[in-house]
Amino acid sequence: MSSQPNCENCPVHHKGNLVRLGIDMDKVDYVVALAGNPNTGKSTVFNNLTGLRQHTGNWPGKTVGRAEGAFSFADDNYKIVDLPGTYSLLSTSTDEEVARNFILFGRPDVTVIVADATRLERNLNLVLQILEITDRAILCLNLMDEAKRNHVEIDVRELTRELGIPVIPTSARRRDGMDELVAMIAEVASGKYICKPHRVRNHTPQLKHAIDTLSKKLRETYPGLPNAEWVALRLLEGDQSIIEALQNGILDGLVENETPIAI
Amino acid sequence: MMEQNKTKNTEEILGMANNLKWELGMGIHDKIVSSLYADAAQIARKTVSMDGDKPAFSLDRKIDKIVTSRWSGFPIMFVLLAVVFWVTISGANYPSGLLASLLVDTLHPILKSGADSFMPWWLSGLLIDGAYLAMAWVISVMLPPMAIFFPLFTLLEDLGYLPRVAFNMDSLFRKAGAHGKQALTMSMGFGCNAAGVIAARVIDSPRERLIAIITNNFSLCNGRWPTQILIATIFIGGMVSPFWAGLVSTGAVVGIAVLGIAFSLIVSWGLSRSVLKGEASTFSLELPPYRPPRVLQTLYTSLIDRTLFVLWRAVVFAVPAGMVIWLVSNIHIGGLSLAEHFIDWSNPFAVVFGLNGVILLAYIIAIPANEIVIPTILMLTVLVTGMSGVGEGSGVMFELDSITSTESILRAGGWTLLTGINLMLFSLLHNPCSTTIYTIYKETKSAKWTLIATLLPIVLGFVVCFFTAQLWYLFAWGFEF
Amino acid sequence: MEQPVLALVLGLVAVGILIWVFWPKKGLLARLGKVRMSSQRVLLEDTLKYLFDCEYKGIACNLNSAAGNLNISADQMAKLMAHLKDMGLVVFEGHNIHLTDTGKSYALRIVRVHRIWERFLADETGVQHMDWHGEADIQEHQLSLEEANRIAARMGNPAFDPHGDPIPSTEGEIPPFLGRPLSSLKEGEVAQIVHIEDEPHYIFEQLSALGLYPGMQVYQLDVQQGKITFAADGNECVLTPLFASAITVQPLPKAEPIQEGYQRLSELQPDETANIVGISSYCRGLQRRRLMDFGIVPGNSITAELRSASGDPVGYRILGTTIAIRKDQANLIFINNIKKEQHEQSA
Repeated sequence: MSSQPNCENCPVHHKGNLVRLGIDMDKVDYVVALAGNPNTGKSTVFNNLTGLRQHTGNWPGKTVGRAEGAFSFADDNYKIVDLPGTYSLLSTSTDEEVARNFILFGRPDVTVIVADATRLERNLNLVLQILEITDRAILCLNLMDEAKRNHVEIDVRELTRELGIPVIPTSARRRDGMDELVAMIAEVASGKYICKPHRVRNHTPQLKHAIDTLSKKLRETYPGLPNAEWVALRLLEGDQSIIEALQNGILDGLVENETPIAI
Repeated sequence: MMEQNKTKNTEEILGMANNLKWELGMGIHDKIVSSLYADAAQIARKTVSMDGDKPAFSLDRKIDKIVTSRWSGFPIMFVLLAVVFWVTISGANYPSGLLASLLVDTLHPILKSGADSFMPWWLSGLLIDGAYLAMAWVISVMLPPMAIFFPLFTLLEDLGYLPRVAFNMDSLFRKAGAHGKQALTMSMGFGCNAAGVIAARVIDSPRERLIAIITNNFSLCNGRWPTQILIATIFIGGMVSPFWAGLVSTGAVVGIAVLGIAFSLIVSWGLSRSVLKGEASTFSLELPPYRPPRVLQTLYTSLIDRTLFVLWRAVVFAVPAGMVIWLVSNIHIGGLSLAEHFIDWSNPFAVVFGLNGVILLAYIIAIPANEIVIPTILMLTVLVTGMSGVGEGSGVMFELDSITSTESILRAGGWTLLTGINLMLFSLLHNPCSTTIYTIYKETKSAKWTLIATLLPIVLGFVVCFFTAQLWYLFAWGFEF
Repeated sequence: MEQPVLALVLGLVAVGILIWVFWPKKGLLARLGKVRMSSQRVLLEDTLKYLFDCEYKGIACNLNSAAGNLNISADQMAKLMAHLKDMGLVVFEGHNIHLTDTGKSYALRIVRVHRIWERFLADETGVQHMDWHGEADIQEHQLSLEEANRIAARMGNPAFDPHGDPIPSTEGEIPPFLGRPLSSLKEGEVAQIVHIEDEPHYIFEQLSALGLYPGMQVYQLDVQQGKITFAADGNECVLTPLFASAITVQPLPKAEPIQEGYQRLSELQPDETANIVGISSYCRGLQRRRLMDFGIVPGNSITAELRSASGDPVGYRILGTTIAIRKDQANLIFINNIKKEQHEQSA
């Protein structure tokens, strides 16, 4: 037991935010968000975890809105929120806003990112965007059976190292790897596994200069801001929620909680 | 002081960000996405390897070459859709009859006599003849075809075939200002318009999605097929020798369905160039890999997700409508029922459109479900003409097994070939059923679009019926000389 | 027995009236909507906007040029100017007219609303790029600054309008004008297009038709009397000085000129692979972001895979996924390095 389940700093106790997002917080120990590209078998993973049967069509954009379910593991209750399948968090469609706001302001304890192993590079776009805004994530590398059938091989160990988060290969349609996924959710949620997520490096020199200038200024104003680069990038993109956070002084709060709870 | 400092700092930061944005020039978003992909490519290079000898997805590519080929693409599509419709229509016939004989012929008299034993006549009439009967009708007509159609459609969807249909059909829909995926929402509409409207979610472009929702009603739904077939058999098949009757009446029904598709495309074209001109529009269509469908799970989920969901909505709306139908034919003012008052009053108006007051009233009170239009028309016709020996009393909807006796009722009600043709047109072009209207509101969250989707087809219906009727009268007048 | 004839005539008239009222663009409703309120205020604001534009670009302006710009008589303009002077918004210096500080901040406010609205039309609606400017000219007088700010916030506080002009900040700041007209560029100089003037309309239309857009690199090849030859992203273009002066460029002294001409994705034949170079800035908003989400970003490779049965959308393979793209979209995506794909050579 490395963390106290009742600690005030645990993100699960951002009750206000979660309640606002429509989540009943009674008897829930941890909140898990399920994100991913459309058509990656995200709903199948959700159904496997919760025992619910949402329709899973082979058709991008099938699940609209947010589905919720729950499961329990080793005496803890987990609430799982199936976010709409999106290709990105940066485009401003409603689906993407729902997904982004949930991860950013709902502060789930773990974000499980479901990716299609047969087209990993395309899926990594979303993975990297999510890793920019949350520290606690797991990559569920789904459709491994199809990858094998199509002769695609993935070096899971290397991928774990590159992304800095646990990577669990699964074939949700056959329930392969689901037990490992649940066990890993528990480890990350309880803080036993501490992620060191990948941050984007390949910015153009011009953009890098702009980010450096702005993040330096941010650090001067808010000493100890751990991901000032990310905030700077969001400001350059003109993200209104970040601007408002800055104006209303919420940024300080956002910042402190961003640090992984390493106890 | 601290607060002021903070505000000043915040403003400085925001000002700085603005200056940097000007320096960076246009397309910051592009640059950020590019850096993400650069990182993604780097990681993928390190971790993903493909077996060079066996190219990935070679089977998918071969299938795609066939189903999207210039020569075989459309035939395959038409054959598959025809099979789905044929299986639905022929497979639903028997269970529909079974359900009707159970719920309407057997259970209804039992319930009625049971209720009569302890309820006043008006209450048992309202509940059993009104509410129960409407529900029974909707279930027996709606459930079997939907329980067959939706799982079949869902199997094609799970397989990954439907996006290819959208891919092949897109150029036609593009010319109408719509999205290729509208081919699918339209096909779904042939099963049920409410389901078709929900299916429009797969269209992620705001303008094209609204177009698909508003025009879905032009797909003849399975509640309207029986009406079309019955009227075509009586009035159009009846014009020719019995040998040709089947072919001619089938041709007429198919003609109406094709007319619906034409209206759908024309109205899409008009909408995209007028009221919906300013809505954002994009096109994106992913062709996902083929996956073997899991038949059992598909059956289960499509039953729960689509069939029962839509059926439930329909039943919820049908029950109060059944009560209204019973009430209008049983509340009397000055010796005549409300229904008769309305029919008498609206008849002169209806004749201008080649219809009659019974049809207008039936379409108003049977708005919840097209399935109960014919039973309502029969009941009202008997009520108005004062026929005896048919039907089960005022306010009790019924249908007859024999087409000839149905015909004699309608003829007695003053129906002609023109009434038949215009009823077929009006059945295609009138407001969506209330289940669909409610679904449109749920999906668009806009009263404006719901109103347009409701009024547009009915205005079109009246215009088309008017010109058909007046031209008809003109020719009839011409022939007299 | 003339009833059906009468009814038919009446019916046709009724339908005719309906069509006349609701017909897009030329119908009564559309016309009523278009009637521009050309009140005094609109004229005053347009004058301020014109004066600001002159000062920003360092052009001297007087009564006559202003009257010409607003399409009113010099007398009317003189009255307007006097009125503006009374309001303390302008000062006269001989023939030249300047904005006061108050006048400048008033003008900047209108410019901000105008450019935000153009950006909004470009990014969030289906309005064609030819209509952006005209619509914004109407909205700039109707939308309040607060409303415009809210729209800007929702769009991520853009810094530029779709023509490449900077949007003034809420505080009325605007970066200095660095551009030069394309016509002033010397042979051998490399620059980037930063702005394409949207007035007069026929010039803008012509330049758009040539495929020129802000963000393109230009390389001046030859300057002659009455004829300017340059390469835009590697493709040779010839313009008269009048047309060339509608294009504003910012010199890039260190940049290498792009040698090879780009091709459009629509030219890619099935089983050919190419390298993505970029997306035209006429492909904007949701559509652009969607394409980028699919992996249409510079550097990625793309293969034409399938032509649909009807020929138009073509399925392209990018990052392992097949995406259907319509021809008019593919026309806005630039590629180079086309190669024949060498797959499926195995037994």
